[in-house]
Amino acid sequence: MSRRIDWPDLLLGLFLLLVATGTLVATRKLGVGTAANMGPGYMPRVIAIAVILFGLFFTGRGLLRSHLGIAQVHLRPLLAIPLAVALFSLLVEVAGLAVASLITILAAAYATHEVRAREAVIFGVVIAAASVLLFVKVLSLPLPIWPPDLFG
Amino acid sequence: MKTRMIRALALSAFAAAAFVAVPFSAAKAQDFKGPVRIVVPFAPGGTSDILARLIGPKLSDAIKTSVIVENKPGAAGNLGAEAVAKAKPDGHTLLLMDVGNLSTAPSLFPDLNFNIQKDLAPIGMVMFGPYVLAVHPSVGVSTPKDLVAYAKANPGKLTVANSGVGAVNHITAITIAKALGIQWKNVPYKGGSAASRAVISGESNTIINGTTATLPFVVNKQLVGIAVSGDQRLPTAKDLPTFKEAGFPAGDAGTWQGLLTTGGTPAPLVNKLNAELKKILAMPDVQAKIAEQGGVVKAGSPADFAKWLDNSVKTWGGVIKENGLKAQ
Amino acid sequence: MELLDNLMLGLSTAFQFKNLLFCLIGALIGTAIGVLPGIGPIPTVALLLPFTFGLEPASAMIMLAGIFYGAQYGGSTTAILVNVPGETSSVVTCIDGHEMARQGRAGTALAIAALSSFFAGTVATVVIAVLSLPLSALALKFTAVEYFSLLVLGLIAAVVMAHGSVMKSLAMVLLGLLIGLIGIDVNSGVARMTFGITELSDGIDFVPVAMGLFGLGEIIANLERKDERRVVTSQRFRDLMPSWADLKQAFPAMLRGTAIGSVLGVLPGGGAALPPFTAYALEKKVARDPSRFGKGAIEGVAGPEAANNAGAQTSFIPLLTLGVPSNALMALMIGALMMQGIQPGPQVMTEQPALVWGLIASMWAGNLMLLVINLPLVGVWVSMLKIPYRLLFPAIVLFCCIGTYGISNSLFNVWLMLGCAVIGYFFIKIGVEPAPLLLGLVLGPQLEENFRRALLLSDGDFTVFIRHPISAVLLGVVAILLLAMLSPAVLRKRKEALTE
Repeated sequence: MSRRIDWPDLLLGLFLLLVATGTLVATRKLGVGTAANMGPGYMPRVIAIAVILFGLFFTGRGLLRSHLGIAQVHLRPLLAIPLAVALFSLLVEVAGLAVASLITILAAAYATHEVRAREAVIFGVVIAAASVLLFVKVLSLPLPIWPPDLFG
Repeated sequence: MKTRMIRALALSAFAAAAFVAVPFSAAKAQDFKGPVRIVVPFAPGGTSDILARLIGPKLSDAIKTSVIVENKPGAAGNLGAEAVAKAKPDGHTLLLMDVGNLSTAPSLFPDLNFNIQKDLAPIGMVMFGPYVLAVHPSVGVSTPKDLVAYAKANPGKLTVANSGVGAVNHITAITIAKALGIQWKNVPYKGGSAASRAVISGESNTIINGTTATLPFVVNKQLVGIAVSGDQRLPTAKDLPTFKEAGFPAGDAGTWQGLLTTGGTPAPLVNKLNAELKKILAMPDVQAKIAEQGGVVKAGSPADFAKWLDNSVKTWGGVIKENGLKAQ
Repeated sequence: MELLDNLMLGLSTAFQFKNLLFCLIGALIGTAIGVLPGIGPIPTVALLLPFTFGLEPASAMIMLAGIFYGAQYGGSTTAILVNVPGETSSVVTCIDGHEMARQGRAGTALAIAALSSFFAGTVATVVIAVLSLPLSALALKFTAVEYFSLLVLGLIAAVVMAHGSVMKSLAMVLLGLLIGLIGIDVNSGVARMTFGITELSDGIDFVPVAMGLFGLGEIIANLERKDERRVVTSQRFRDLMPSWADLKQAFPAMLRGTAIGSVLGVLPGGGAALPPFTAYALEKKVARDPSRFGKGAIEGVAGPEAANNAGAQTSFIPLLTLGVPSNALMALMIGALMMQGIQPGPQVMTEQPALVWGLIASMWAGNLMLLVINLPLVGVWVSMLKIPYRLLFPAIVLFCCIGTYGISNSLFNVWLMLGCAVIGYFFIKIGVEPAPLLLGLVLGPQLEENFRRALLLSDGDFTVFIRHPISAVLLGVVAILLLAMLSPAVLRKRKEALTE
């Protein structure tokens, strides 16, 4: 049966259905109003229903059209890049920009198997120093450079 | 060669930026250690921001530590206010904002994450900017009496642009309509300048807004001034009656800017900041700059400010609740 | 010959040594921050605002304006080289600009972007000098009704623009509109789909979504590929500069882009998003072979870049003639004027002629400086691509994080970017273009706001959209576009049916 599934279309359709249903649930309590005096729920509902129609269309077409696969998903970059961003968010206000930058660079660098440990560390230190200089010193971004609890 | 020169130029521009970006620093004293932040919960360039940048360097000289102005815009000022409410109560995090917005926040946003009266400590009021009520020339009235007569004869024909649902000028419009028994349509816009633009283009035909956003157009005859809020007439537009003279309610409606800090800050620190603020507000150059912002200096004690806040929460908040302007 | 007198006054102000210097500083800072993803002209101008206190008003305005249009030049650099759009306006440049870079034509793309911006900047300066008054009168004719119709036209343009299937891009526009609805509803003050998160009450910020969907999503996908992922660099000078054939191909696009940008820039809020998107759609419509778009078409860089820079400059018109800001940056400029003790308003032009005309004249000088700065920089930027990708991409990830944080100093946007990165990767995997989604996201809130305001003011009478002449014309164009878009599809279907 999988012969007949167009995966990109099917996944897009399901994604649209998910988002639109989520919208309908989230806005179910908002008033719809009338055309002259629309409530806050009017537009979300109209658009969500349109998105559902598109979702159904793509899901249906995905199930019926001839097979189209999706290129293999590699987990390493898919996990490492979001992890790098998450580490940045978690660390930057607690540990300061210098530490957060270095760790973000390292985590991101490990997204590829081409990574060379020593090179990544040196590069990370240089970029972290440059970021501190550029963003905190020059552009006055209100971020601590070092862990504020240690140096505050 | 050429690229190297360009690079050097780019570097020197950055160096210049670095030079100007150094915070206004000064030697340290006992009361204040490390930088004091003035959080402005709005985008830069607005009245609160200009006031903060005006007061910041002078405060830095007075308390002998660096003072940094930090813009933290979002959610009608609530994001920045929340950051100050949840900061360490050591007087090093200050909040300068349109406190009208602050006083309506609890009524407008029931899921506000902090208590504006407990988690914030008033230091002192800074300025009051009166409102001007003006109409588009197409309405064809020029006095408060004619305006009321027009509104009664044409219910719903006056469309009042405000800077957002629950904004103080929206509340003022509702209060006036109720007291005078007239009907006008309140049209919300995204901010005061969008509202001004709409009235100049004639999309809406009435506006209640600060002087800097209205008077230039009155002078240019693109708008017709009707009345001003506040205790006295404006020196720059003496022919406009005050709300009180015109028989309108809400005479104290307008932009109120105040300085606050985190709730629970020790009273001596708050009083010290209040004393310095009062000194700064007495400086002639500060008064001149505030006059340019279309306002007058309102210096006072923390207790005066707290009383004002309490009163506004009740009256303005009451209007919001009565009219169901609550955000859900 | 009042115009000539004014221009002479402007030139004599702008060409004072110190003003030229401030213009240069502004242009340099603008270029630098434009190149950095996320750090836009607004925070930079805000940062420098207090330091303009000590300057003369004309010098201050000249420098701040230089930062603004300098950032328009710089923004395209990151878009072309690493597919990270730092500003709304450079999303479109990503599409064909980055594609050109992948084909080893990064130098050409960068040079064309700079040349188009310069050309548009020059023309827009003349437009401001000569046509300010009629254009600001036109801007005042745009009420909620006209603006709604214009936005519909912009969204239809987005559909035309997509190089994939029309159905998919329609779905993406709708998805963008839906996401755009998040936040406090202007017309009722009610918070929608904010799930109690305070940061969401002002809606989803554009930059983290764009950086996630485009920049980071592409990095994840890139890392899966083996060889073809690296941007080919060519270091011969000849390849850095566009050829005559390139210029000939790009020039009409520059002209059309400049015209579109000059008009749309005057409208409130439209300055950043509408001009480049509309210009791209137009280029694709008039091209003999639209299938080249999305695969490195030079017109796809020239048109939007010209529109973008022209729009950035004409967005000064409402500020200068009416004293009303057309976007957040112009609101800052008003703040700058007020700090200088100048009351912004309709009188500024007559009361401060040296300031206004000096600013206008400085725009041309600034654009010339930017061209001189940017053309030699092309070589520098392209050589940056020689950094191994394994080192380049972690740095991009970090700069995206810091830049997103810098928009409103909030970590929330960084988390939002993370989510969008995963969705962006998902979109690449299933072959969906994210650009229409971004346009929907930017225009959605304005679309709803104006639609509902128009109906509120007309007591729910839908015919206002046809009764207002400008609106009727705009909606007419929408109808024609829709017909034109559908007809080839209809014809093709018929042909298929016949052959079967």
